Amino acid sequence: MSISLATLALLSAGVAALAPAVEDGDLDRIPDALAGPAAQAPATLPSHPPRGGPHARLYLEDALTVATLRAPVIPFPPPAPSRWQDRASADLVAEWAARASLKLTVSDRVDLVAQEHQTWWSRSTARNEPREAYASWQPRARLYFEAGRINVRNGVALGFNPTDFFRPRTLVGQASLDPSVLSRNRLGTAMLRVQAIGERGSVSIIYAPKLFEASPIAGNPVGVDPRLDATNAAHRVLASASGNAGDLSVQALVYLEQRRSRVGLALTRPLGASVVAYAEGTLGYEADLITRAIEYGQRTGTLPPGAPPPLPTDPSLAWRSDVAAGASWAIAARLTLNFEYHFHQGALGGDDWARWFAAGRANPLLAPELWYIRGYAADQLEPASQHNAFARVAWPNAGVDNLEVDGFAFVNLRDGSTLTQITASYAMSDRWTFTLSLSANLGSAQSERGSLPQSSSAIAGLACYL
Amino acid sequence: MTLSKSASKQLAIVTALAAVVFNGASAWAAPPTAREIVEAADRARNPQQSFRSTLTLVTYRGGQARERVVLGVHAKVDDKGGQMTVATIGAARQFKNLVRYIDPPRDAGKLVLLDASKMWFYDPASKTSIRISAQQRLVGQASNGDVLTVNLAHDYRATLIGEETIKDGDHQDRRAWHLNLVAATGDAIYARLECWVERDTYRAIKGKFYSDSGRLLKIAYYRKVANVLGVMRPTETVIIDAVDANLVTTVDAAGYRTQEMPEAWFQRDYLPRFEEE
Repeated sequence: MSISLATLALLSAGVAALAPAVEDGDLDRIPDALAGPAAQAPATLPSHPPRGGPHARLYLEDALTVATLRAPVIPFPPPAPSRWQDRASADLVAEWAARASLKLTVSDRVDLVAQEHQTWWSRSTARNEPREAYASWQPRARLYFEAGRINVRNGVALGFNPTDFFRPRTLVGQASLDPSVLSRNRLGTAMLRVQAIGERGSVSIIYAPKLFEASPIAGNPVGVDPRLDATNAAHRVLASASGNAGDLSVQALVYLEQRRSRVGLALTRPLGASVVAYAEGTLGYEADLITRAIEYGQRTGTLPPGAPPPLPTDPSLAWRSDVAAGASWAIAARLTLNFEYHFHQGALGGDDWARWFAAGRANPLLAPELWYIRGYAADQLEPASQHNAFARVAWPNAGVDNLEVDGFAFVNLRDGSTLTQITASYAMSDRWTFTLSLSANLGSAQSERGSLPQSSSAIAGLACYL
Repeated sequence: MTLSKSASKQLAIVTALAAVVFNGASAWAAPPTAREIVEAADRARNPQQSFRSTLTLVTYRGGQARERVVLGVHAKVDDKGGQMTVATIGAARQFKNLVRYIDPPRDAGKLVLLDASKMWFYDPASKTSIRISAQQRLVGQASNGDVLTVNLAHDYRATLIGEETIKDGDHQDRRAWHLNLVAATGDAIYARLECWVERDTYRAIKGKFYSDSGRLLKIAYYRKVANVLGVMRPTETVIIDAVDANLVTTVDAAGYRTQEMPEAWFQRDYLPRFEEE
């Protein structure tokens, strides 16, 4: 044993002799303020939000949008889109645990909007967007009963979420076209929800009652209207269950609504170290987009009752599916790319688009109805075309500290027309962030995106997080 | 259960004798293997029970503090595999992590869930959970991968390069084992790393982290040893960016406390419900 110790000592000495002290010069790069054993202790830490006390997130934002317009091949019905708009907003999310098992949540945004074609003070100048207001009761651990206006968002894709059943008519006025920003600001739905979360997954059931008759699609939201007529114009039920099977994450959904019931499935799974694949899809027995749009327009009085649709279509119900499938790919710990394919079977196919343009050219009086179909699709937050591709890139620390660059593109796979936007966000401090976005609708005059009246826009935003 | 005074005294004597015996035996035994060193370093670095802590990350550019992020980290011992056996006693166990952004205000409330290959990012503003890949743990100067509680012995295959004297983060000479660790599971954050573990204390002193292509990404020094849950452990990591010469990030850990966490916390659907307990 002593020999072993001696040998070990010799080996150790030898190693030490052969491997002189490592001097990489790394240590010289440690800032002086941190150098040496007498370095200061870290600054006082902010405490966690106290459980039980109220806490809130508040930010103020101003967004100035300027846009360039063009004359669409099919005339766009008045009012024309604005060439400029300035929106000042105060955005609040507040939570208060009134009791150990009872929590109240409010999420609201107040806007002051000035824009072209609008007097400095009108019914649309001051707007309130009450996104959420609900109570959550937890009678035992991880069992929740909730009532109120709740923003329930489902789906695993970025550009289109077929399983996000509560998305129709929830859009609120905002500058960015980024789908992730759109979902951030949308209205919730008045509902009752029960959710239980266990060790292997969760189950939930939602009932959203019909509180109002369906209302017309409004170009400019008015004043402080909570717009429950937009979010609660039908009785709806959603049951869902989620869990994991190995690396596969699964969510199954059943959605019930008169003439729009669907079943859905959402899956995600990593493929190697840098790719996550995901897919979501739904199947339902319903009418196509043209039929639903015309029916809605007639039901809400926007279109004359009984008038034939401006495009030939089969008004019968049929099994139709929606799919969004794609993958995210992290590259060299710098960039994240997403590619997705979107299929919306009930939307306009190649022949429908040809007829849309032909009908508008042959009879300009049909233009309002033709545009109404597209406006309905936008209001429902569903694609107007059957086949689309979506790509997104996120580049945090984009060459400059605190600068993040994001870009995305929706591409119509029939005509190649594209909606694209690139955004640079610079965090000037812990509280202030400046954002600049440039977007464009690209394509020929007789393409989906190229036929839109707005050709490009620039948005400058300044946000202060309080 | 309480012990009488005499019983306590006897227990103390037995414990002391056992310590002498086993320390003496280990002094005469063969030198530790690379794996044993890494396991001991894991135990010296991380509490081996579920705990929460608060991390403050400060990024310096050219020596000037530029950005500060505060995170709450909840680390749960992963009980996958069931009962602890004689073979696994003493071996480092892996963790599940739930990381919550506390500061700055624009990021407050964001959550990152990391449970082996199940990794999700939750944004409270959009109420959206996005599944992220292992590579995305590395995005950013001090990435999610750097603030995780991980036991290296679980995910890497270690070999002992030798014994060296190196300077620690406070410019003090330390005798250390120099180890090379190569990723052995898909859960490993980096493809390869080198680490230096102090011989006397089994505390990590320094680490070098490499990408899949073999590129040096980061150099880390472990400093500010303090009593954390009964064991002296480093509480500060200085991360030097090997690509951008002007970039240094410090990660200071504080506020440790043991905490039992239900398994349901590590479900994607729990992220919107998460709140401090």
